[in-house]
Amino acid sequence: MTSSASIARRLTLSVLVLELLAAVALIATVANHERHIQFEAFDANLRATANALLGSVQESETKDGSIQLDRQNLVLPMRAIYSVTNSEGLVLGAQGTPPELPHASGTVTKTKMAGHAYRFLVLTGERSIDPGTPHAVYHHIRVVYGLPEGRVWHTVFEGIRFFAISTLVLLGITALLLTWLIRRFLLPIGELAHEAERIDSENWTFRAPQSSKHFVELRPLASSIEKTVLRLQRSFEQQRRFTSDAAHELKTDLAIIKSSLQLLTMRRRTVEEYECGLSLGLNDIGRLEKTVQEMLTLARLEQAPKELKTCDIAEVLQEVIVQSHSFAEMKKVRVAHRGFEEHIGVPMGKEDALLLCSNVLINALQHSPSAGVVDITAAREAETIFLRVRDHGSGIIEEDRPFLFDAFYRGDASRSRKSGGTGLGLSICKAICNRSGGIITIANHPEGGAVVEIRLPIFSPNPART
Amino acid sequence: MRVLVVEDEPRLAANIVASLREVGFAVDHASDGLEAWQFAEQGIFDLIVLDLMLPGRDGKSVLRLLRTKGLHTPVLILTAQEGKTSIVELLNCGADDYLAKPFDLGELIARSKALIRRSKGTSSPLLRVDNLEIDTVRQTVTWSGQIIELSPIEYRILEYLAHRPRAVVSKKELLEHLYDYDWEHHSNVIEAHISNLRRKLTQLATEPVIETLRHRGYRLRVESAQ
Repeated sequence: MTSSASIARRLTLSVLVLELLAAVALIATVANHERHIQFEAFDANLRATANALLGSVQESETKDGSIQLDRQNLVLPMRAIYSVTNSEGLVLGAQGTPPELPHASGTVTKTKMAGHAYRFLVLTGERSIDPGTPHAVYHHIRVVYGLPEGRVWHTVFEGIRFFAISTLVLLGITALLLTWLIRRFLLPIGELAHEAERIDSENWTFRAPQSSKHFVELRPLASSIEKTVLRLQRSFEQQRRFTSDAAHELKTDLAIIKSSLQLLTMRRRTVEEYECGLSLGLNDIGRLEKTVQEMLTLARLEQAPKELKTCDIAEVLQEVIVQSHSFAEMKKVRVAHRGFEEHIGVPMGKEDALLLCSNVLINALQHSPSAGVVDITAAREAETIFLRVRDHGSGIIEEDRPFLFDAFYRGDASRSRKSGGTGLGLSICKAICNRSGGIITIANHPEGGAVVEIRLPIFSPNPART
Repeated sequence: MRVLVVEDEPRLAANIVASLREVGFAVDHASDGLEAWQFAEQGIFDLIVLDLMLPGRDGKSVLRLLRTKGLHTPVLILTAQEGKTSIVELLNCGADDYLAKPFDLGELIARSKALIRRSKGTSSPLLRVDNLEIDTVRQTVTWSGQIIELSPIEYRILEYLAHRPRAVVSKKELLEHLYDYDWEHHSNVIEAHISNLRRKLTQLATEPVIETLRHRGYRLRVESAQ
């Protein structure tokens, strides 16, 4: 295939070739028809002249009881060849020498005479002298008349030439019209392509031109480009926001560490001051470490899993509740759980499941008022397990809801940093759920507090323990 | 000089406040945009160090509001997002300078001093009034080349007065610009410090350098040659 092919050129060429083929077929048919008609006329002409010759013998005066050809009233073409003979073979009149021909009357025979194609007609008749009398005499006459075919072919070729020239002219006009029309029809595609060409990482706006929306064939293409660009723009924006937020987070952590150490070096300090400063600095580094760790976790979770792992979510939940016991005690929050005695296999690694459950539980504990309760329920519906974790805190702000799972999103911008969170916890939860084909949502309970609901597909009733 | 630090990250804010106090500024701290505006609209600050991403009201809108209300306090922007809000845009909004996180505390202090200097109408770090010379970087004071030992607060009073020689500075103004809200003080501390300062200066000068104008305030006197 050539590197660049043009639809317009191909279309024009195809139509012209088809037109040409049709024209050739038409010319062939017309020529055949014309030939047929012309030869019919030619043969009629032969017959008429032969009849005239016969007639002139029949009409002429007899001379001593013999017949003769009276050519006085006959005008014959120069190139005509004829002979009129009686039954005895006596030539009554002739021009040229006709070849030997069959005797049957009315037959037309083609033959070559001195390099020219001739058509001959044989006609037989009789001349009666004194018919109806006892001394009536009947003379048999044979007329052979021929003319060269050249004239007929000339007419036929003239016809073909006329048709061929008209076809060529028509082809030329159609080619011009086609080129113009096809260009016009392809214009919307060109406009669409031009508009699509303007899309790049800086400019994500794509508005399909009106022309492309007008045509039924282009509409799906235009709208699919629009949708794709919108999707790409969203994911690109998301990436950009993530990068920018991550940079902000890391820079802030670095700024804290840097300023903590620089503050220490501003002047000579006591050993206690240095000790205090260094321990604060170490805390700051711990925070940075945690942020980096969680970012790496998120990056790992956003890639497709290499192998299918399963674990028992009921067991994981029990483990998480035990692990968070001291934190719950510190917050004076009771964790109530019910509905998960049996083994429930879910398609995720145990580490991920632990991370998911502990993130959700710690989040609930953090938002619980002192002496509150965090309810954990597990319910099974067909092949799906529903985990609900409810706290009795102030709930979530409705405007924040669409963004709560976004990385580094902070509804109350200062809260997450102050509470020690990195702003990645819920994003990690969502990534874990997505990876296993599950869904995580957050909503307010009608009686107050937030409810996190995790829906996971059940892998098998007896999962392989990991 | 009094500085307002607006920063929501508590550890970073603590470090900035501590370092600015170390070099002799009175420093107040606001952790969100609304608190920042409440502080700033009083017009008692010589500099505002403003973080951009704040809860309540973002840094840029605080800056805009400040300039719309006709307050000319110099503003030094702290930002970790160079891409999101362009520096040009910030400067056009009325910011005087900016620092990108993670910044250098030394640079923050130097820029703060430079901004304050310029807002007081001088670009030299050396303030000269008669024979009195104040080095605002090293925070030393000399009279005809002879070093005068001053306490930090005495130095701050003298520096504040030296920025506007011959102008009368009220006691209220001195209190507002030399003490932050965390500082326990009474209005008569100024009088005590002024009298100490005057005593130290008069040992070298022939006449009292700081004048007290009853019910009006204080003035750094300039020789008749001026």
